[in-house]
Amino acid sequence: MTQSIDTSSYSAITEAIQAEAQRVLGDGTVTAVIGYAAARRKGSAQPIVISQADDAARLIFTPACVNNLAVYLTKAKKEIPRNGRIGIVVKGCDLKALVGLMGESQLKRENLYLIGIPCSGVLASTIQPDTELTADTLASKCRECDAHQPTGCDFVPPQLPVAPELEKKYQAEISRLEALTPAERWAYWKEQFAKCIKCYACRQVCPFCFCEQCLCDRNKPQMVETTPRPAGNTAWHIVRAMHLAGRCAGCAECERVCPMDIPLNLLNRKMAKELKELFDYEAGFEVNDKGPLTMFTEKDDQSFIK
Amino acid sequence: MQKYISQQNFTALLDALIKQGTRVVAPKLNAGTVLYEPLAAAGEMVADQLPRRSGKEAFFPLCEEIMSYEKTGQQVALTDIDPARFPETVLIGVRPCDAAAIPVLDAVFSWDYKDEFFLERRRKTTVVGLACTTADDACFCTAVGISPAETRGSDLFLSPLVGGGYRCESYSDKGEALINSHSALFAEPSGAEALPLAEPQTEKFDLKKVKAWLDEHFEDPAWDSIATRCVGCGACAFVCPACHCFDIVDEGTEKKGKRRKSWDACGFWKFTHHASGHNPRDQQPKRYRNRIMHKFKYYDDKFGQTLCTGCGRCIRLCPVGIDIAAIVEEISKKEV
Amino acid sequence: MCDTANKNIYLPYLTTVEEVIDETPDVRTLRLVFQDPQLSENFTFRSGQFAEYSAFGAGEATFCIASSPTRKGYIECSFRSVGRVTEELRRLEVGDTMGVRGPYGNSFPIEEFFGKNMVFVAGGIALPPLRTLICNCLDQRDKFGDITIVYGARTEADLVYKRELKEWQERADVRLVKTVDPGGDGPEWDGMVGFVPTILGEAAPSAENTIALVCGPPIMIKFTLPVLEKLGFTDEQVYTTLENRMKCGLGKCGRCNVGNVYVCKDGPVFTAQQIKAMPMEF
Repeated sequence: MTQSIDTSSYSAITEAIQAEAQRVLGDGTVTAVIGYAAARRKGSAQPIVISQADDAARLIFTPACVNNLAVYLTKAKKEIPRNGRIGIVVKGCDLKALVGLMGESQLKRENLYLIGIPCSGVLASTIQPDTELTADTLASKCRECDAHQPTGCDFVPPQLPVAPELEKKYQAEISRLEALTPAERWAYWKEQFAKCIKCYACRQVCPFCFCEQCLCDRNKPQMVETTPRPAGNTAWHIVRAMHLAGRCAGCAECERVCPMDIPLNLLNRKMAKELKELFDYEAGFEVNDKGPLTMFTEKDDQSFIK
Repeated sequence: MQKYISQQNFTALLDALIKQGTRVVAPKLNAGTVLYEPLAAAGEMVADQLPRRSGKEAFFPLCEEIMSYEKTGQQVALTDIDPARFPETVLIGVRPCDAAAIPVLDAVFSWDYKDEFFLERRRKTTVVGLACTTADDACFCTAVGISPAETRGSDLFLSPLVGGGYRCESYSDKGEALINSHSALFAEPSGAEALPLAEPQTEKFDLKKVKAWLDEHFEDPAWDSIATRCVGCGACAFVCPACHCFDIVDEGTEKKGKRRKSWDACGFWKFTHHASGHNPRDQQPKRYRNRIMHKFKYYDDKFGQTLCTGCGRCIRLCPVGIDIAAIVEEISKKEV
Repeated sequence: MCDTANKNIYLPYLTTVEEVIDETPDVRTLRLVFQDPQLSENFTFRSGQFAEYSAFGAGEATFCIASSPTRKGYIECSFRSVGRVTEELRRLEVGDTMGVRGPYGNSFPIEEFFGKNMVFVAGGIALPPLRTLICNCLDQRDKFGDITIVYGARTEADLVYKRELKEWQERADVRLVKTVDPGGDGPEWDGMVGFVPTILGEAAPSAENTIALVCGPPIMIKFTLPVLEKLGFTDEQVYTTLENRMKCGLGKCGRCNVGNVYVCKDGPVFTAQQIKAMPMEF
């Protein structure tokens, strides 16, 4: 029988974030709150930016609140107003991205009002939004979440997250791929990258893809072919994985939004594993102004230089 | 012409077509995702799922070569593409929303200049539509005036019957020719009832009213509230059966390479960006506005139809939950 | 014309670069001759139309055909190197091969201008779309009344088509008013100093039985239109050309639209009346 996940606290969490958003908008602590609101489809949710205390009642938290809203605070989203302090609803995984952005001097903590969610998990991307949250419908990233309870927020509802122990799919899949020969692994990724249609949804939702102009959008010189063909697809996905190594904290938005179901977070997790092994580094809740790939120490492993 | 084909004979038909060298494109599982892809055997067809991308790529591929160049000294030799190389194709199991989008694309690629890459494939393809018996809450074909049994765009149309098999109705010479070419597999229509059609839940939009509002509201605060959340990817356009914008690029070395046409999307900032740095659509809401305007006004101004068939793919796949059906419904309720 | 005979509408004609003219430090004109002699003979276009120019390996760029259809055997294009394609076009030398697709778009309705006075107003690099028409008018000079050309750039070095400017200046049947601003040019500068709209106002051509043709950066157009209005020009008497990013030039690829107007098909030539009816999307 499928293990169900207890989300009974989500309605109380919803009430708590509504009240808090109303308070901070009402007393002028923040100029806007970025959160989730219900949408037309049954059970669905979508990002919303509210600037009036009266709109706080529109905020919700449900298993369909899948987005990492941190993307809206990056340079890539110029349409979000930047005056004053901004409130944002964050799950633990989203918070890691915000922390990373602070480390990279993209955001200042004092400009944010963090409304943390004690999160038991959200739905996988291919699941209808009104589906019950179970071990089967849960997003893969939630199975290995170590951040159910966000830390360092300005406000967190008192409810406690419930997180049953589940098999870790990414870890299992990484082990499976690591056991393959390089040729077999290459064949696997070639098949995956061949599916890419270059819609760049993975890039556009990624909080760390905040470059004003992505390398792949430049044409002088044309470093990466733009057409959805094997050469350009592979180049793009390698560029993406490399640029995220040591930065990506596993919100898995890239994988969630990929219309072609490419397991992009698998690549990210593998890179994270490498960084852990090589530099004992993990992207997490601590603000680090230097990641392992942006600094050099004499103790760094150099065995790869042959 | 109306006929009946049993499930067994339907399989035999596909296998016979494949065997005779016809390219048979149908919904098929491809590395975990259902797409319209060429079948190697009839058994590969997945009849009960809406493919992730639409059927337009049977005529307008994701990316295709439109010529190649080779330089020798100061001379350049160009090699044209021979449309004769496009294979005879049967596109089968096409959902009504996808099939109905084909005539919509015909208009674009055949008005004024004729795009033979599209049109030659079109001439060589027989479209076999398939009635929908299930819908989810992203489906809204009926809201834009298309039914789950819409036959527009289909040469032959299949309706699944209670107890198995299909009722086949031809709507063109091509459809009739397909039946005649394998007439032994088809029987006279039986009395069997068709399976009940899908019932999308959205109410019918007043598209005239929507257009009337769009006619007058290029500038409107609504665009910001609709599209501030848009992150500017191309997912909606790429999975859309009717979107047809494309890019033309040269790829290769300086000496030798290919010119290619590939899908593009008005959501990308780069789409309208001038080399000078000027961008007429410099913010995401302006780009999203173009998407809605093109679908419900500009295309209508030019060709008298709507550039949306209600497949709901963009709703299901939008990374930030933008729901075109909700937006259009909201617009239809606005004062004109 | 020739395009419909071509099955592949995206296939360019091959041309040879016959002459390279440096107009300014960053603007260059290429004179192109079709490699197919029959095409060279038969290629026709109208002033105002544009083409897609290929630098093979880099792609295509869109500019107007800057030469006049009355001068046969070649076409010319002028461009500033700002992007990948134009930088590659700039590397071409005499004798090199370049691709051309076209002519595309609408054109100036020159026949409707017969018997009228013509006022050309241009700024900076925007003279090419008017130069084709100016040369066209001069080659059938007796069909037009007075011809006035007001042309300005930032400095004398930024003025394009210096050879023609000299020729126009020397003609008795053309009134050329050239201007620079901020100027800073030497004592040999024999033109005006000031912005194009201001100088146009001072030159004050009569609006009676006159057509005004304006091309320039959006800011210049914005300030020129009220000046023309003040001089008595109606919006139907004023023409301009638009340029938006294009790829196909054929009304298919979907990026050059301003509202529901496709610049590649419905333009690039528009009257001020048409421009004013468009949303601000250019």
